Amino acid sequence: MNPALMATWARRGFMGLVGAFIAAPLVVVAGVSFNPTRRMSFPPTSLSLVWYRDFFGDPDWMASLRATLTISASAALLSVAVALPIAYAVWRYHSRLSKAMAGMGASLFLLPGVVLAVMFSALWGVTGHVGRIENVAFSHAAVFLGIPLSLLAVGFDSIDLGLMEAARTMGAGEADAFRLVVRPAMTPYIVCAIAYVFVLSMNEYLIAYMVAGFSVQTLPIRIFTNMRTGYEPTMCVAAVLFMVVGFCVFGSLALIGDLPRLMGRLRPLRD
Amino acid sequence: MSLAPPAAKPRRQGEGLAQAVILAGPAIFLAAFCVTPLVLLVQLSLSHHQDGGLWSPGFELTQYRALGEPTFLRVVGFSLALAASAAALTLSLAFPAAYFISRMRRRAQVAWLVFILGALSLSEVLIVFAFQVLLSSGGALVKALVDLGLMAAPQSLYPNLGAVLVGLVYLVLPYVILFLYPAVSRLDEEMPQAAATMGASPLRTFFLVTTPLMRGPLVSAAALVVIFTVSSYLTPLVLGRPENWTVGVHLSNTALDAGDMPLAAAQAVLLVTAVVGLLGLVRWIGGQRAPA
Repeated sequence: MNPALMATWARRGFMGLVGAFIAAPLVVVAGVSFNPTRRMSFPPTSLSLVWYRDFFGDPDWMASLRATLTISASAALLSVAVALPIAYAVWRYHSRLSKAMAGMGASLFLLPGVVLAVMFSALWGVTGHVGRIENVAFSHAAVFLGIPLSLLAVGFDSIDLGLMEAARTMGAGEADAFRLVVRPAMTPYIVCAIAYVFVLSMNEYLIAYMVAGFSVQTLPIRIFTNMRTGYEPTMCVAAVLFMVVGFCVFGSLALIGDLPRLMGRLRPLRD
Repeated sequence: MSLAPPAAKPRRQGEGLAQAVILAGPAIFLAAFCVTPLVLLVQLSLSHHQDGGLWSPGFELTQYRALGEPTFLRVVGFSLALAASAAALTLSLAFPAAYFISRMRRRAQVAWLVFILGALSLSEVLIVFAFQVLLSSGGALVKALVDLGLMAAPQSLYPNLGAVLVGLVYLVLPYVILFLYPAVSRLDEEMPQAAATMGASPLRTFFLVTTPLMRGPLVSAAALVVIFTVSSYLTPLVLGRPENWTVGVHLSNTALDAGDMPLAAAQAVLLVTAVVGLLGLVRWIGGQRAPA
């Protein structure tokens, strides 16, 4: 075999292994959810939807699903709403204030999760506002702020400044330039940031548990309790739902936007 | 902080006002949810611990003295070693993976990105569960090992240090691939091509030409992995034995089981200090701008 061919096969083999590694837990969880028996086994012997019926028929699981979706949707919208003006000000005015705010906002994302959990449980403890669902949403919005800040910064940097100049030269005011140039260019980045924070918040365990775990049972909290007290395949149904949501969201993002570019690729990509 | 005008550019009229208007809301949010919790954490670490998970305001260093205990220091040392191993393993997978993905054709690239982003939708809770199933004595992996004659009799592959490492690498791998992707896609093709023309093998080119060009992003990525894994909670708790528990597990136990919030806060302050130190080191080694 010639070296070039060998390199190709080595590369394919490597990527195949990485892909299998990343896929393995997804496949296991999906497999368990279709397993007809309670026994924790993989691969499943036959297919059954019994746990799906259980999941959707159980008011407790449904309450957790609702709580989780409420938290992650509000956290995602809130954190993008906070990040957008900051990223815009950094791009538009280059001011020291906006840069300091961007640094401050991104800093929490660099702290270990346990530290954040202690910090926020102290915050809500001091304010006396404990065990509420909004506590989790606000905490997640703050913790994950670094994601929209960096994604939106990439987005603003990709806007053609010449286009902005052209719009202004042709008599477009600030508002028009914003509507004609900034908004269309930024829409995919905003959607991507919302999706990212949504998924991260949906899966976060420790902060949610320390901030309000005794009264708000998000899905990860319920699943973990379930795992420790006696396992039920019902919990994997929730996971399959999330996987479907995740793949649909990012898949449609790839359809409406240029995903490699959204993820920070600046060099044009040939087909 | 004041609304200082940008130093270099002449200021357009009304810019200060426009900024004040759009940044007022975010400023309130940052003050309430970023600055205040950090201040509270420091204050809490100096407070006096009372029974039942309560504390009274104070200014004492009791908690910080407790950090010097040999048992705690051993946990910190172990966590750092574990995090460093996780970082080395993750990078050795993520860097080539990100590099190969960035060289694929568009459709393959998009498919890989969707796959990796979609994999993020599996919660850590479920990841550790899936690894429990995979590594259990009745799992497919053990069966395969027995069939291949690599294992005498079926036995569980967890809890142990190896399982913890695998879990941690799994957890951070998608993030690190996505983090390195912009940097590798920006890499110039010319230098590696020149090296290949001069007869260097692809492997040699990768390690001697491509890798040094990526020093900054690689160091930043390693630091990110260390930060995320040094205080990991669920993975060591479920896939490891108590001696494999990280400082994160011990810290959570201090806060949740022992109800000693001031001590947990002091441990957290120590971790924050370590993170800040690590990031400073990264800046210094990387000799470039801090990662976004």
